[in-house]
Amino acid sequence: MAATDEDRSALRRRFEEYHRTRDPRLRDELVEDHLRLAVHLARRFDHRGVPLDDLVQVASVGLVQAVERFEPHRGLEFSTFATPTIMGELKRYFRDKGWAVRVPRRIQELHVRINALAGDLTQQLGRSPTILELSVAARTSPEEVLEAMEAAQAYRSSSLDTPGPDPADRSSALVGSGEELLFQVDDKLLIERLLATLPPREQLMIRMRFYEEMTQSEIAERLDISQMHVSRLLARCLERFRAMLAAERGESG
Amino acid sequence: MAVSATSDLGDAEEITLSLPARPQFARVARLTVTGLASRVGFTYDEIEDLRIAVGEVCSLLLPGPEGRLTFRCRVEAGAVAVRATREPVGRPIEAGDLSRQILLAVVDELELDAEAGSVRVAKRHRG
Repeated sequence: MAATDEDRSALRRRFEEYHRTRDPRLRDELVEDHLRLAVHLARRFDHRGVPLDDLVQVASVGLVQAVERFEPHRGLEFSTFATPTIMGELKRYFRDKGWAVRVPRRIQELHVRINALAGDLTQQLGRSPTILELSVAARTSPEEVLEAMEAAQAYRSSSLDTPGPDPADRSSALVGSGEELLFQVDDKLLIERLLATLPPREQLMIRMRFYEEMTQSEIAERLDISQMHVSRLLARCLERFRAMLAAERGESG
Repeated sequence: MAVSATSDLGDAEEITLSLPARPQFARVARLTVTGLASRVGFTYDEIEDLRIAVGEVCSLLLPGPEGRLTFRCRVEAGAVAVRATREPVGRPIEAGDLSRQILLAVVDELELDAEAGSVRVAKRHRG
């Protein structure tokens, strides 16, 4: 977890060694060294009628899978890589048991509506709407708007019935979303310059998406916001990038 | 609607929230902070930022001993400031790179006292 650069590169070397040798003893060590992460994530699902010990077991299965699948040369931190895998395992467990968090349908629907309204109003007003403006547009109270925004996490859980992100998803998620644009730009300096024009949160998401190679749902998971919101923000960034690139090419051409 | 977009809380007024240090209470912390921010006209995007920030602060403070988290929230000159502390303090806060990056991306001010188990974030309303 938080570690010095030295710890970090020592850990990386051990993962590289495991990747090469598949030595079961080394695997066990790596798993044991990260049990705290599994326990930490398992606790998030505590108090839902399942003993914590069982949850830790489930999380540990995810951890073992993460150690198996981790590819150190991709430059990702192990904990960044392992978190969604472990969370996925825990959620699958609850889903299989039929215990996924259920939000009242009314709030679920409001969540979807607020998301759409936020996009529409942002366009109309040329700025992000206030909560009051949203509540008027949705014919509800500001408190309900906030509660609907808070439903992001639960909303994701309920949409678990659709297949979750798996490695194959990484490439398919890119198709047609306009995200391939970034991969066509070789000029790192240009990308950095474009990035610098974005608000900090959007910069963070672009970095998580393209530098850390997290999927949209992993980003949503990590930030505890809805995937729709991540998707909307990323689309907005890429739209802006495209316009700037077009202008750039227009000037030079 | 009888909700005013301007603050009817005095600038110096403060909300103090004390919660069990368990993940399922993070929601209450987020709702309280965003409730306060929406009263002073924060926008949807700013509220999303605050939600991310409070969630991140909770996850920094949570892997501690079973105890309580205290959130002191106030409106200061168009900004919402939240100081969160853990009691008992327990082990120092471990804030990884990603946590810092996330917090710095969504708030204007970040103060972290790892030894004291205390994090303060502030976000200005821009509109």
